[in-house]
Amino acid sequence: MALGAWLRPRIRLLATAGAVGVVAGALALLALATVRTPEFASTQTFAVGALVLGFAVLGWSGSVLAGSAVETLQSHLDTDTDWTEQDSRRAMARLVGFGAGVMVGVSVATALLT
Amino acid sequence: MVSMRFIAKRLLLLVPVLFGVATLVFAILQLSPGNPARAIAGQRASEEFVRQIERELGLNDPIWVQYGRFLVETVQLDLGDSYTVQRGTPVRTILVNKLPITLELALYGQLIGILLGIPFGIISAVKQDTLTDHLTRVGALSGISIPIFWSGPLVILLFAQILGWLPTSGRIDAQRFAIEGITGLITVDTFVQGIQATLASGFAVSNFAAFFSAVSHMILPAATIGIYSMALISRMMRSSMLEVIRQDYIRTARAKGQGAKITLMKHGLRNALIPVITVIGIQFGSLLGGAVLTETVFAIGGIGTLLVEAINVRDYPVVQGTVLVFAFLFTLVNLGVDIAYSALDPRIQQ
Repeated sequence: MALGAWLRPRIRLLATAGAVGVVAGALALLALATVRTPEFASTQTFAVGALVLGFAVLGWSGSVLAGSAVETLQSHLDTDTDWTEQDSRRAMARLVGFGAGVMVGVSVATALLT
Repeated sequence: MVSMRFIAKRLLLLVPVLFGVATLVFAILQLSPGNPARAIAGQRASEEFVRQIERELGLNDPIWVQYGRFLVETVQLDLGDSYTVQRGTPVRTILVNKLPITLELALYGQLIGILLGIPFGIISAVKQDTLTDHLTRVGALSGISIPIFWSGPLVILLFAQILGWLPTSGRIDAQRFAIEGITGLITVDTFVQGIQATLASGFAVSNFAAFFSAVSHMILPAATIGIYSMALISRMMRSSMLEVIRQDYIRTARAKGQGAKITLMKHGLRNALIPVITVIGIQFGSLLGGAVLTETVFAIGGIGTLLVEAINVRDYPVVQGTVLVFAFLFTLVNLGVDIAYSALDPRIQQ
């Protein structure tokens, strides 16, 4: 498969989630800044974005590292679920984009606000 | 043979894992209530003094600046200095001192789990639906279900208080032996010292008294942490072995006249071990987590106890450093497991 064709859907996945994150981050910052101080709003919203990013990156790499082992474990212990390593990776990639988007959105919105 | 490309690919995965853990820990610490500058200064310190500490630590900078600085320092392996736990000491030094204690505990726990879990699993599978199988399964289920904070005090009560066979806490009889740190692993250090004393003055059992003391202190905590490991490994081994012994190639080997034991150990065990080995890797993470509780129950001052203490006093650099080290170890163990896994089944590398 050509590199472009391989990259395109992956970048789209990250970019769409990232765009949603930027908007969500900026809106959350503005909403929180109306009830508390802008510094507090910036810190907390950025930290929540970082939390999502950290969790997602960890989830993604965990899926790559141990996904097949978990699938094997589930089938051997007769606890079959529909969980697959590929689905998990895609979901985590979306969350990576969203979390990073929130962090960027908050940073930009704070810079514009102050 | 395991290819270098496969190992390099796995090593590259260390980067996102450590980045994810670092980000997660940073976010959690930022979201948790309280002020580290206040924790350092003390509750009675003036506001001005607290502000001064905040400025010194860069806590007033915008959060993305703090985040960027934290990531850059982490990449440079600069984990900072401890705020409160061991004030002013580099986190790296603290971790180097504490890590061997937890590693030793987890390794012996894992060893007990593997050495007992695999044979129990095989016996259980071979004697399927007999009394031995039922007893082993009940044992495994109990082992998985019993939490360490309950099984720990229970073994102390039985083996230390009632029977008086083993010591209850610590790593060695500190009043009798002074240990010179070599590797930090107390059983190894005391053994090496015993050998040195033997070479200097001839063999005497008393040369190894410190080693025996260290081993006797290790048995209960390692057994406590190993019970859970043993239970899971035994359960996995049983189901995996049952699946393998029903395969055609096992039947063929038996039909050709090969003995039951040789068929089982030569053809069956290798294939049955594949899923078990992956579980052992995942399980090592649980052992490190379990070490936090075990260290507390048995009063062993390892990295787990350090983590709990650092969280209590909001010592950010120590918490971040400790969690990063845990993640690094977990990933390295998984790499080892992957290599073992692909050595057993070369198709996995593709």
